[in-house]
Amino acid sequence: MKHLIVAVTGVMLAAGPAWAQTSGPAGNAENGKKLYAQVGCYQCHGLAGQGARMTGPRVSRTEFPFDGFLYQLRHPANQMPPYEAAVVSDQEAADLYAYLRQMPAPRDPNGIPLLKTER
Amino acid sequence: MAESESAALHRRRFLKGMVVAGGATVVAPAAAQAQAPEKPTGNTSPPTAAARASEREHPPEADRLTTEKTGSDFMVEVCKTLNLDYMAACPGSTFRALQESFINYGQNKRPEWLTCMHEEVSVGMAHGYAKVAGKPMAAMVHGTVGTQHAAMGIYNAFCDRVPIIIFTGNAGALDERRPGVEWVHSVQDAASTVRDFVKWDDYPMSLQHFAESTVRGYTLACAQPPGPVFITADTKLQEEPLDEREQRKLKIPLLVTASQPAGDPNALREAAKMLVAAEAPVIIADRYARSQAAMDNLVRLAELLQAPVIDNRSRMNMPNTHYLCQSERAGGLIAQADCILSLEPVDLYGQLNVMRDQLERTVSPKSKKGVKVICISTRDLLVHSNYQDFQRYVGADINITADAQTTLPSLIEAVQREIASGGKNAIAMRGEKMRESYNGFADRARAEAALAWDATPISSARMYMELWEHLRKEDWALVSDSDFSSNWPHRLWPMEKHYRFIGGSGGYGVGYQPVAALGAALAHRDAGGRVVVSITGDGEFNMAPHTLWTAAHHGIPYLTVIQNNRAYHQEVMHVQRMANRHNRGLRNVPIGTMIDNPNIDYARIAQGYGAVGIGPINDPNDLSEAFRKGIAAVKAGQPALIDVVMQPR
Ligand code: HEC
Ligand SMILES: Cc1ncc(C[n+]2csc(CCOP(=O)(O)OP(=O)(O)O)c2C)c(N)n1
Ligand SMILES: [Mg+2]
Repeated sequence: MKHLIVAVTGVMLAAGPAWAQTSGPAGNAENGKKLYAQVGCYQCHGLAGQGARMTGPRVSRTEFPFDGFLYQLRHPANQMPPYEAAVVSDQEAADLYAYLRQMPAPRDPNGIPLLKTER
Repeated sequence: MAESESAALHRRRFLKGMVVAGGATVVAPAAAQAQAPEKPTGNTSPPTAAARASEREHPPEADRLTTEKTGSDFMVEVCKTLNLDYMAACPGSTFRALQESFINYGQNKRPEWLTCMHEEVSVGMAHGYAKVAGKPMAAMVHGTVGTQHAAMGIYNAFCDRVPIIIFTGNAGALDERRPGVEWVHSVQDAASTVRDFVKWDDYPMSLQHFAESTVRGYTLACAQPPGPVFITADTKLQEEPLDEREQRKLKIPLLVTASQPAGDPNALREAAKMLVAAEAPVIIADRYARSQAAMDNLVRLAELLQAPVIDNRSRMNMPNTHYLCQSERAGGLIAQADCILSLEPVDLYGQLNVMRDQLERTVSPKSKKGVKVICISTRDLLVHSNYQDFQRYVGADINITADAQTTLPSLIEAVQREIASGGKNAIAMRGEKMRESYNGFADRARAEAALAWDATPISSARMYMELWEHLRKEDWALVSDSDFSSNWPHRLWPMEKHYRFIGGSGGYGVGYQPVAALGAALAHRDAGGRVVVSITGDGEFNMAPHTLWTAAHHGIPYLTVIQNNRAYHQEVMHVQRMANRHNRGLRNVPIGTMIDNPNIDYARIAQGYGAVGIGPINDPNDLSEAFRKGIAAVKAGQPALIDVVMQPR
């Protein structure tokens, strides 16, 4: 399934999380999970998509629309290495996207005794 | 019994050789006058010594086989006048006389000899030690090969501006070298291997020269900006008998602690004007604070200006419990700042600009156009040409070459005067905003920490918080930085005292962490039993796992936590970046960057070296019990290690 790449500007990217409805090819989350490890997303974004300070932001349940997501892979905003179609196809991107979208919701820190600790 | 007798004998001999020099911080005395070496006994009955010698074709003087005092004894006397508690070394024959003199003649006290299993450990532990103790210790490294091993540790200390007194031995005169190995371990110019990254070096040609250079070296090492110094002790000087007449001529110069360079008052007045006039001043602290007082001064200055502080954490600069500690907002603050005060910057250019690591490297400024920059730093006082640790040039608007810690009280006074004669309203309003944003930091950190709370492999946030639950009950110190784990301790633990934290390696030479932790733990032990924790990458740890043996052998307790991501993960990401850039990707398991297959059993390694070893811990729910045990072992005086299998970062 072909997908139209929409060039979004940085400003639109920043507004990404506001776009609740996402479109794009149907993705296979199972395959996305495999790809997430294989093509190295986990390295910078963590195996749970939690992100890390020095390497990359949280991506679990990304609120980017698929277009914005794909655009970030192909034309990273800043330091992320580019993933061109030769490395991650549009369909694989959709699989990755499906995987990230279905990740479990984060826990409320107030429900975790160790995180309720006063500073 | 025999041991105590010989110790008493040595003490008598040592004290006999000492004449107390007045006024100095001197343990032992200038120009110690030892008793005359016993004369070789004249033998009256035939055959004479000379006759025997000539039979064996030795000149008669070669039959004198022992002596009571050597140059190395005097060298020990010199070292005893310095404020040196420890000498760390992996043994080597180029300093065999010195080693014997330190442990026998010097009674193995001040300095006490510590056994290390690699010269990088000897130097690296001195690095960590100095940052906690606030004074140098010494390391001794074997000629050529030991120096080569020590080189990276020396470089880290140089970059991190930390004082260390390093000695090596060298057989300079060729006619005195034993054929074979002694030639291989001799060199024309011993320091040349490390000259680019020591503050000073010398190769003394006489014992008097040794005394002066060693005292000078100590002084130079401690003068801001501090750094390692390297002294070569010639083997002939070490091993030759020292007769009474020669000894009487020797004088050990007094060690005097110098005051440190403070900023020019005129420049400080200008700086104060600029800071008080600014609408959005920001203070950035790097290698700034060497003491609690320096931290307190930074708080005072920040409060006066109600200016946010970005602590880059090369040292423990600013308590994160203070609302003006705004490191979390570094990017936004720098973007808005109209005046930046930078204290002992490590990389001012990198702080103000960002370079995009893509095929084409582009730079964009992080700060506003026209931002005024004030820099107080000793960085221009120690710049060598070859190694590029000085970073890209930034011309500050006011560049004050001075020790920022020594200068801050004067800057505070200048700011007070300036405020007294000007408007304060903007300053008060800034404070309100700072409090508001400060209150959000902890919540954001907690929310982020919750993200992978139950994950396996274990998340770095979970590990740090499970550890904190135990550590918070102790008087603790963290001797590792947390750049590879999202700075969790700085975001989630209260870091309010200077000794809680000591910054990182300086030179990014991997291997720093386990060895610096050993030295830092030693200084913390001597300061009074703080529970010391070092979080180290598996790659870091594997550079020097035997530090645990030195810790066990010398009774240096601390907890090592292996942040075990089974990889040189930093390099995994670099290779991935290249693979993507070349449009190839990396579908194979990364080659050359993983530390698996087989997995390493760190707990057993620790046990093998005589430390407590726990793990591998795979389930986050097992962390608490592991930390309880580990900390209990440390409190009982043992080094302990916990292997935690973790997320990449
Ligand atoms: C070498 C590190 C690295 C790797 C590998 C990497 N990323 Fe990123 N990623 C980043 C960084 C850094 C950013 C922040 C934006 C930037 O600098 O481009 C980012 C941003 C993102 C964002 C936007 C997040 C947001 O909310 O702003 C998404 C989505 C994303 N990455 C997905 C992926 C996926 C999917 C992969 C694997 C195909 C991947 N990344 C691989 C470093 C990386
Ligand atoms: C002496 C030395 N060798 C190699 C490197 C390159 N290097 C930088 S970070 C790193 C990985 C260190 O591994 P680890 O301590 O496990 O940390 P991780 O990146 O896995 O979190 C390496 C090899 C270096 N900086 N210094
Ligand atoms: Mg690692």
